[in-house]
This record gives sequence, C-alpha cells and structure tokens, in this order.
Amino acid sequence: MIDLEIKNSKKQLTVAVAGNPNSGKSTLINAIAGTRLQVGNWSGVTVEKKEASFKHGNLNIRIVDLPGTYSLSPYSQEEVIARNYLINMKPDLIVNVVDATNLERNLYLTVQLLELGIPLLMALNIYDESEKKGYKINVRKIEEMLRIKVVPTIATQKSGLENLLLEIESFASKPKNEILPMLHYNNDLDNSIKNVVEEIKPAYEYLNENKLRWLAIKIIEGDELVLKEFGIKNRNELINQFCGHLIKGHDSDLESLIADARYGIATGLSHEVLEKPKIQKEEITEKIDRIVLNRYLGIPIFLLAMWLMFKLTFDIANPFVDLIDGITAGPMNRWFAFLLASINSPAWFISLVTDGIIAGVGFVLVFVPVIFAMMFFITFLEGSGYMARAAFVMDKAMHGIGLHGKSFIPLLLGFGCNVPSIYATRTLENEKDKILTSLIVPFMSCGARLPVYVIFSSAFFPGNGGFILWLLYVIGIGVAVVSGLIFKKTLFKGENSLFIMELPPYRMPTMKSLMIHTWEKGKHFLVKAGTYILAVSIFIWFLLNLPWGVENKKDSFLGIAGQVAAPVLEPIGFGNWEAASALITGVIAKEIVVGTMAEIYVDNLDEPEKEELSFGNDIKEIGIGFYDAVKSAGINISSTFSIATITAEEDSGLSTLKGVIQTKFTPLAAISFMIFVLLYMPCIITGVAYKQEFGTWKWYGISLINGFGAAWILSLIVYQGGLLLGFGG
Amino acid sequence: MNLSQLKPGSKSRILKIGSVGPLKRRLMDMGVLVGEEIIVEKIAPMGDPIEIKIKNYKLSLRKKEAAEIEVEECV
Repeated sequence: MIDLEIKNSKKQLTVAVAGNPNSGKSTLINAIAGTRLQVGNWSGVTVEKKEASFKHGNLNIRIVDLPGTYSLSPYSQEEVIARNYLINMKPDLIVNVVDATNLERNLYLTVQLLELGIPLLMALNIYDESEKKGYKINVRKIEEMLRIKVVPTIATQKSGLENLLLEIESFASKPKNEILPMLHYNNDLDNSIKNVVEEIKPAYEYLNENKLRWLAIKIIEGDELVLKEFGIKNRNELINQFCGHLIKGHDSDLESLIADARYGIATGLSHEVLEKPKIQKEEITEKIDRIVLNRYLGIPIFLLAMWLMFKLTFDIANPFVDLIDGITAGPMNRWFAFLLASINSPAWFISLVTDGIIAGVGFVLVFVPVIFAMMFFITFLEGSGYMARAAFVMDKAMHGIGLHGKSFIPLLLGFGCNVPSIYATRTLENEKDKILTSLIVPFMSCGARLPVYVIFSSAFFPGNGGFILWLLYVIGIGVAVVSGLIFKKTLFKGENSLFIMELPPYRMPTMKSLMIHTWEKGKHFLVKAGTYILAVSIFIWFLLNLPWGVENKKDSFLGIAGQVAAPVLEPIGFGNWEAASALITGVIAKEIVVGTMAEIYVDNLDEPEKEELSFGNDIKEIGIGFYDAVKSAGINISSTFSIATITAEEDSGLSTLKGVIQTKFTPLAAISFMIFVLLYMPCIITGVAYKQEFGTWKWYGISLINGFGAAWILSLIVYQGGLLLGFGG
Repeated sequence: MNLSQLKPGSKSRILKIGSVGPLKRRLMDMGVLVGEEIIVEKIAPMGDPIEIKIKNYKLSLRKKEAAEIEVEECV
C-alpha cells in the first residue's frame, strides 16, 4: 500500500545509460549524479556497476550505468551484462551516449539498442570537439530518421545536461507508447524478418511487435544466448524456410549479413546528417602519437611514464603512510591504553585493544594513501587515452608470456605494493587476462618484503646488500614468467584473448571524474579490507596470547603452530619454530615477519619506555606530522623530477636482532629464507583485493598454493644445492 | 594479400574476413567489414601489434589477427 502511494505522488523512472567506451559516458553520469553515485559490481562479475537515485521535479529517477560496449553481441562480459540488463530488467528509457566525433561506429550500437524496442533518448556528446573539427551535424535529421529525441551535450562542461533532464521529464509525462517505430534494413532482409515473425508469433504471444521483431533478428543472426533463453530449437528450419535467398544472394553467413545491415543504417545515417570539412587538419592526437608511438621513442617514453607514475604514487603516499602508522602506533595506542586503564580494564583487554584491534586498524589505514594515489593515476591514464597506447607499445613483450599489453602496469605497481596492483588489473578487459595477471602479481617483490631482506642481507652479506636485493627482484620476475607460462598451459589452456582495441583520441579527464573514481575505490577498500584485517589481526593476537597467561612464546598457540610447521621448513634450512611462527604472522603483511622475530628472539627488545600521557602533545604531534607529511609529499614530487634514490631504512633498534639471527641461521639458510619470504604467499590484504575484484576467494587460494609451492621448491633447490656445493658452513 | 603484410601508410580495401567465432564477431562490431577501406597507420615499436584507421577512427590489432583479414591494395 505504502509503495503504491509513493508511486502515485512521485513517478518512478528507471533510465539505463548505454554507450561506447570513450564516449564520455562516465563523465556524463558523474556530472548528472555526482556524489549520489553508488559504485559496486554487477553481481558475480568483475565489471563495475554504477547507479544513482535522485529526485527531479516530480520524478524519482534511477540511473543505471551500463558497461561501455561497442555492440550488444555476446562477445564480452560487458556486452552480456548490458544486454541482460536491458532485456530482463526492462528499463523505462535508454539514454544512449554517442560520441559526436565518431558518429558512424557509435550509431552501430544505437541501431542495436533500437532493435530492443525500448524508448531511446540520444545524448550527442563531445559536441564541442566535433564542432572544433569542423563537423556539421544535422541534429533534427537524426531525430527524423530514427524517430527519437537527440540532445547535444558536452559532459565535461556540464553543457546540455539540463536539456537532457528536461527531455527525460517530458518523456515521463507522456503516455506510454506501446509499439515503437521500427528500423528498416533492406527489403530482402525485412521480408525474411517479417516471415520469421509470423512463424514464431503463435509460440510467443506475450511478446509485442517490437520484441518479436528483435527475436526474429536474433534468430536469423544465430545469437546462441538468446536462442537458448527462448528455447528456440528449430533455427535451422526457420533459416532454410525463410532465409535461403539471403544466404544465396549474399556470399557470407547470416551473422555478418545482419552486421552489414546494421552498419548500413549507421553509415547511411552518418552520411546524411554529417558534413565534414573538405580538408581535415592534422589533429592533436596524431601529433602526440607520432612521438609517443614512435619506433624508437615509444618504449623509452612508456618506461619514463611508468617510472613517473610509480614514483609519484609511492612518493605522494609514503609520507602519509608513515604519518598514519605513527598516529595509530603512537598517540592512538596510548590514548586507548590510558582510557581503558582509567576504567580499570584488565591488562589482557588493553593488550587486545591496542596490539590486536588498533594495530589491525592501522594496517588497513596505511594502505589507503597508496590506493588513493594509485587509483588517481590509473584513472588518469585511462581517461586520457594513454593506457591504450601503453598496451599497444608493450603488447608484444607481454603477449610472449601469455599476457596482454595492459598487464604491464599492474605488474609494475606490484613492486610498490601488491594490493593496488590487484585492483589495477581491472583495466584489462578480458577476464582471463585479469586473473592471469593478478596471479603472478605476488611475485613482484613489494615494499613490505624489503625490511626482511635488509635485516638478513646486512646480517650476513654486509657490503653486498645491493646485489642480494637485485638478485631477489630478478628471481621474483623469473618465477612470475615461469608460473605465467604454466598457468597459460594449464588453467587457461586453449583460451586465446584478443587484442582488438580502440586507440581513442587523447582527452583531458575532468578533475571531478578523477576524484569520484578515486574516492569510491578508496572508500570501498576501507570498508571491505577493514573487516577482514581486523579479524585476522585479532586472531593472531589470540594465537600469541593463548592459552591464558602463557609466559613463554614457545608455548603460545602461535609457538605451537610454529613447532608443527617447522618440519616442513627443515629441508629448506630453517626448520625452527621461531622462523615458522614469524612466517605465519607474515600473513597480515610481510614486514611483520621481522617484528615477530624481534619479539620472539629478543624478548625485551620492543618494550617501549613508559611515556607521560599528554593529549596536548599528542595533538600537536599529529598536527606537525600532517604538516610534515604534506611537505615531504611535495618535496618527493619535486625530487621525482631530479635525482631520487630509493633507500631502505634500517631501524637501529633491530641491530640486536641481527646479532641473534646470525647465530640462528647459516648464510645459506639466510638466502633460502629471503627467497622464501619473497615468494611464499601474498598477504591477507592482497587476498581481500582478490576477493573484491573477482568476487571469490578461489583465486587467492590458488595464489597461496602457487606461491607456497614455488617458494618451497626454489628454496629447496637453493639450500640443498648449496649444501651439495659445500656452502653449508 | 592480408592486412598484416601491409606497410604503414598503405591504403587497402577488405575482401574477406577469414576467421570465425569471437574474432570475426569482434571485428564486425568494430566496423571491420568487407568492402571497408583501411589505412595502416603504425606498427608498434616491437613490431607487433599494428594500428589501423577504419571508419575514421583508430584501431589496434595483433598481426596474427590482421592476418585473417584479406585485403587488396588501392591507390
């Protein structure tokens, strides 16, 4: 009842927004919906879904952004999603965003949308650019020929959007037309369609004329998904009966015949309505491409761009990472400890809150700056059009190991942090490419592994630290290549991805689009990752502190787990419970391995001095910290353009740990241990990223097995091989 | 002659698309149809893929994919 009343007072209207990739669809939706946009995933798949509900006049408008597609044929996941939505969810209206600079190809999708028999409103977008090119588009004529409304828009300047909303309003106020005007192809084809319609009509009485015609076209086209959905088994008979002359007259299959017919309309229409200048001047895109895709300059420019992005991402983020780390580990920790102590909480509870919960929250928060910075740059690369060029330049090399040109960027980011790089795989269109890339990302040695390398190499190979580091990175890349090839031959056997990719014109993405995208991603991560990390962090705390009142770390659950796991590590050189326990805690993040070792090996190392609690000082500290972070982000950005070197800091407090490690490991075991840490498993936060991107824990599971297997085997070869060669001492 | 054999700058017309299945459908969706004119714009620095201009926009494809497209050069 209540529902009905709302419907009566305000009219509900669902609008699906469809269009080609690079048609400015996202910008248009961002401009209309702004912060009301809700970003999620289409159920069960990795494709992003955006929607927004808002009031306009006496309308409740719900806008659903369909994935950008060139067509509605079932070639890609995006196309299937867009199609299923349009067919099953029956939106009231389609807003078709059309790139005015690329009318013909965009109209091909328009024709397919019109076949569906859903009312359509066209937003003729990027109108400014098309005018700048000297194009004259006769908008009235498009309206006449397609019998739809057309609104010129410039989404980047918010121009024409009011008109678009007005048209949506006036559409809603008009009585619904049951049957929409239908497009006509050529006489031969139209006749065949008509005949098929007559034939199937009795069986599909519930479909109106538009839908029947659409179904007939799909039958002739041989669209398997639709045939299956409607239970049509007699396609061959229908074709033989009604389309024989089409096959004979046209020396090709019916699928391309329909595509030809659609393009026939698109081409014909664009010839009719579009007037191009006689001489087309060279465009800015061609000028840029002449340099960026140049035979000799292409690769250096690409590498430079990647280096810049990598540096900027981590240089901007790092000061904030340190700041957040400092706040959660310092003041926040102290405040909570103080607060809890003042209400007489037991010591174990204070420890749980500070060491378990706050430390866990800290772990999530430190990733936020990196995720934000990375999403910002990735969105910029995609929006500007350079991403497609990067893929074009790198494809040959990446294709050699079964990947796609676009795989390079996530892999590169992986050297900073694996988490954003799993998210970055979303720039890949093909599901298989996405998964394959994300499976080898964990072999890119991330920054969190550095503390382990630093401690071990400085303990055992002082003076050769640089070489050891280099060696570890190279081993990681090598293992990535090999395991990529293995995956390609096993899990993804026979699947061949295509590289048919548009190189869109260069465009400046709007700040608003960049911000919305970046913000959405960061927010999503915070919420999702927060929950999991918190759980794992608390779990590890319990492992360390159970059974109750445990004194010796060896008798804690973690110590016991370490003792159980130790024999597995025996053949690779470090079969002791201390190392095993440290490795287990590394599931949160690999740098913790060092922390746990310190805690276990050096019992009183980390006992912090009791500091006077002062809120005033803490607030001041945070304030100064923030100022410093902004300042050093600024300095980092400027130093990116001069000389900047990555330095691995070494905590002086850990020198005691170094001494202990020297007695517990042989140099050979140390190398084996470093290789093991490099490969053994992606951390839980990376796991959350897998879950978020692919909607299942399956790929994280495979990644864990793959990582552990590779780590163990390689460490075994190195350790046992080393022993045989007499490096055992 | 097929598309993968052409040099940058050369203009040709599509005679036949040899492949079947997803590749063919994708090519059709992108406007790569029989009778269409193609200009080969560039070859990637490592020799593959190639960039073509068709229907007044730029498209890239691997040589292996281009080899499925039979063309005749036009002047």
